[in-house]
Amino acid sequence: MSTKLQLKRAWGPTVEAPVLVMKEGFSPRYDLDRWTGVISRIGHTAEGQSIVGKILIIPTVKGGVAAGWAFYDLLHKEIAPLGLVFGKLNPVMVQGAILANIPIADGLDQESMLMLHSGQNVRFDPSNKNITIVNFS
Amino acid sequence: MRLTDLEQSMLDGKQGEAVREALAFQLEVGRFFGAERFVPITNAHLMGDIEVMGNAGLGLLRRLSDHHGHCAVSTSTNARCMHFGEVDELRQDIVEIEKEKEIVRLIKDMGAVATDTCINYQTVYQPKLGEHVAWGDTGTVIYANSVLGARTNYEGGMSSFAASLTARTPAYGFHLDENRRGTLHVNVKAQLKDTADWGALGKIIGHPNQDYFSVPVFHGIDEMPLSDHLKHLGASLASYGSMAMYHMVGVTPEAMTSAQAFSGRHPDHTIEVTNADIASVYSAYNYLEAQANIVVFSGPQLSIFEMQNIAKLFEGRHVATGMHVFVTTNHAVWSDAKRLGYVETLEKSGVKILQGVCFYILQRLTQIREENGWTNLISNSAKLVNTITAHRFNTILRKTHQCVDIACTGELT
Repeated sequence: MSTKLQLKRAWGPTVEAPVLVMKEGFSPRYDLDRWTGVISRIGHTAEGQSIVGKILIIPTVKGGVAAGWAFYDLLHKEIAPLGLVFGKLNPVMVQGAILANIPIADGLDQESMLMLHSGQNVRFDPSNKNITIVNFS
Repeated sequence: MRLTDLEQSMLDGKQGEAVREALAFQLEVGRFFGAERFVPITNAHLMGDIEVMGNAGLGLLRRLSDHHGHCAVSTSTNARCMHFGEVDELRQDIVEIEKEKEIVRLIKDMGAVATDTCINYQTVYQPKLGEHVAWGDTGTVIYANSVLGARTNYEGGMSSFAASLTARTPAYGFHLDENRRGTLHVNVKAQLKDTADWGALGKIIGHPNQDYFSVPVFHGIDEMPLSDHLKHLGASLASYGSMAMYHMVGVTPEAMTSAQAFSGRHPDHTIEVTNADIASVYSAYNYLEAQANIVVFSGPQLSIFEMQNIAKLFEGRHVATGMHVFVTTNHAVWSDAKRLGYVETLEKSGVKILQGVCFYILQRLTQIREENGWTNLISNSAKLVNTITAHRFNTILRKTHQCVDIACTGELT
């Protein structure tokens, strides 16, 4: 059984990976140790978890222009996320994701977000603007 | 997107490979946001330092330089991650310092003016009402849109460089009238005196309403705010809320009336902010037991008036044992502050002044914190106490005079 979740805008290649679901906004500068790929902000809902190779599910954004370079840097350090799916995003996330060739989308609604749990495998298909939960049970 | 003949020739590589790469990148961003065209810009502000660019970003910059990329509009640079002078507490990596110097050299060769500042709107260039620019720092963007009435989106990373090379940017977001209308009604019943109070207001509005396209409209401001007040409000809204524009009725140029600020749009909701709300922002911060702490005046860099004020507050006093104090400003303000005696007053008090950097973007900041044993970071910048948290400081927001008292007594109040 699989479930498809709709997105509003999306860019990039299709990827399949486990998700890391955040319950709050995310900024690579405010929240992430950019030398390990681990969320380092004290009290962040994903503190201590790695973003490496994950599709990040993020309700909103914070800040900040750092993401414009940071995803490209993470990619070359081999600690980048595999995809970025937002409820709401800002242009810097898009600019940074395009530079790093990381697929990105926005418009995931709250109900869909509640269906996703960290560790689930999903297929993120930007060309069709959807996410499929693989092995949904 | 519709391209002009010139833009098509750029995309075809007839203006050089650097311009082709820049425009192709901008097209992808523009298409994501549904932009229909490009808009010409008059000015760009570049954000790029080795701490956030890494070797990959440096490599990209070298490639643009090899392809003879050149700024097509007047272009300035944002605060750097390296303080090039000697400061005992910092001990930044020599190899990375050399890379940072190379970035500065490459950017200057491309024709940018290396101002190294996040307060370009106070010291470098003030675009006019309706003027389109491409600025790569959130605090600069929200000031340009809100206080100056200029038009820009956040232009991070490659984006600000691309805009500088092509002299244009995709027309989406805050370049368009429809996105500049107010969305939130904020009724301010609080007395805002210190810059930290304005930052606290930004946190109250920004944190629960995180949305780039949210535009708060502030009502009830009965005393004309100063540029530094609006700078801290904007930096805080951008930091906590990822917001890029606000209106202030009777103060900002696109909000002479409330009706003009909303332009026919009904606000999503109304928020009232009282003195008690501001006080509760301060009381929410808690100190940790510590041997060494740090007070920082930064984020954004200090204006000459802020330098004058803290020099006055520190005069005749000295930083207490176990406390460290840092101020950051740009080269232009530092030079004036030196001439006017503020630098001498501050340094005599034991304050370290860093030029051309912003504190929270310092290279190897986590290690610097660990090496110095700093636990609590106290600041009058609501932005700074938010942005620096990935480095695991315990941050505390306080009013400016309280920060100075804490620095000079060591009492964590």
